[in-house]
Amino acid sequence: MKNFNYANAASVAETLEILQHEKEKAYLVAGATSALPFIRNGKINNKTLINIRNIEELRYVRVANKKVLIGPLTTLADIEKSTILQKYAPALVEAALNFADPTIRNSATIGGNIASASPAADTAAPLLALNAVVTAVSAARGERRIPINEFFVGVNKTALECDELIAMIEVPKEAANRSSWFIKLGLRNAMAISLVSVAASVMVKAGKVQKVSIALGSVAATPVRANSVEKALLGTEFSALNIEAAAQSVGGDISPITDVRASREYRQDMAVVLVKRALKKIGNL
Amino acid sequence: MDKHEIEFTLNGKKRRLTIAANELLLNVIRDDMALTGTKYGCGIGECAACTVLVEGQAMLACMLLAVSVNGKNITTVEGLSKGNELAPIQQAFIDKGAIQCGFCTPGMVLTSHALLTENPSPTEDDIRDYLRGNHCRCTGYKAIVQAVQSCAKANKQ
Repeated sequence: MKNFNYANAASVAETLEILQHEKEKAYLVAGATSALPFIRNGKINNKTLINIRNIEELRYVRVANKKVLIGPLTTLADIEKSTILQKYAPALVEAALNFADPTIRNSATIGGNIASASPAADTAAPLLALNAVVTAVSAARGERRIPINEFFVGVNKTALECDELIAMIEVPKEAANRSSWFIKLGLRNAMAISLVSVAASVMVKAGKVQKVSIALGSVAATPVRANSVEKALLGTEFSALNIEAAAQSVGGDISPITDVRASREYRQDMAVVLVKRALKKIGNL
Repeated sequence: MDKHEIEFTLNGKKRRLTIAANELLLNVIRDDMALTGTKYGCGIGECAACTVLVEGQAMLACMLLAVSVNGKNITTVEGLSKGNELAPIQQAFIDKGAIQCGFCTPGMVLTSHALLTENPSPTEDDIRDYLRGNHCRCTGYKAIVQAVQSCAKANKQ
């Protein structure tokens, strides 16, 4: 296998110290389920792997005042079983249940899933739809907050600096997020990398859509919001008819590519279908 | 490549060894520990033939660097039985003939064991969902599900 050095970090403080020392050479690994394939195909080489898997202080789901706080080392298995997230962020739980298989979910973490920034990352679209905020921390500059819509900047690229660690992920505790939902289309039931995924969160008041956010994965270099669909729905009656009409405009919000899994055209068509299904599921329509 | 000294518990026995940072747990178990029950299938986390239990949780040994299991408690398929007495799930696989070529069996047995620990009486859907990452290329899934079901039934009684 390729060449790398390895350091075990037992605490946040120790991680930040190593990050500051190694800078560009640093590569954080937690569950390692996305890092190991990268190591094997040479995408990661001559790096210092910093093992943060055992930092228990970063593994939690807690309710704060107006937010749900998720530690970056919370595993996907933790998420699928979290009663707090079942209540406040069902889209995220549904994404965890569709994530790879139970053995991988025991290892993979939510922080790792977003930090590796695959366009198909299963937790990325839900976090985007839920308007999550990522807190990053470094030894040199302390903490800073990054809204999730500024977090993903390209394929496997995030707004994180090389000396930064994800300290926390927050999800607003609000009505729209409590009714959120996620749908993933893959080529098989297990271990699937999504062809298209959709997460949505909607708040309806007096029959009208008062708040809506829709996010899609695997249809652009980063997860994207379906701004035109949201615009078409805002203020209208939350009905099957309006959803059918609004979903048609999702093509303008996405820019899928053709790859080994599916063609650009298929992804475009399925994006419309999945947006409809997710919204109808939320509205029980 | 830097070397690391690690210590972990494998099937109840403390093991200490010096390994390179890039060694997979899978290779250490098979080559250094000479326990070949854990199978090397795809090597990229797709087939689950290399499933082991880390602190009782099913994980893939091809997705774990050996250095990262320092201090952990690991069980392979060789560690499930007590001497000559097979674990109930192992006996169930035999009784139901849930084995064809046998390559996926250790992984299937360990993942099923983890499921039954977590949920002693799973439904067929629970079983199929939990085992969804464990591939059997002989496609002998029916008997495998039946084996787990028979254990679940025994748990209920």
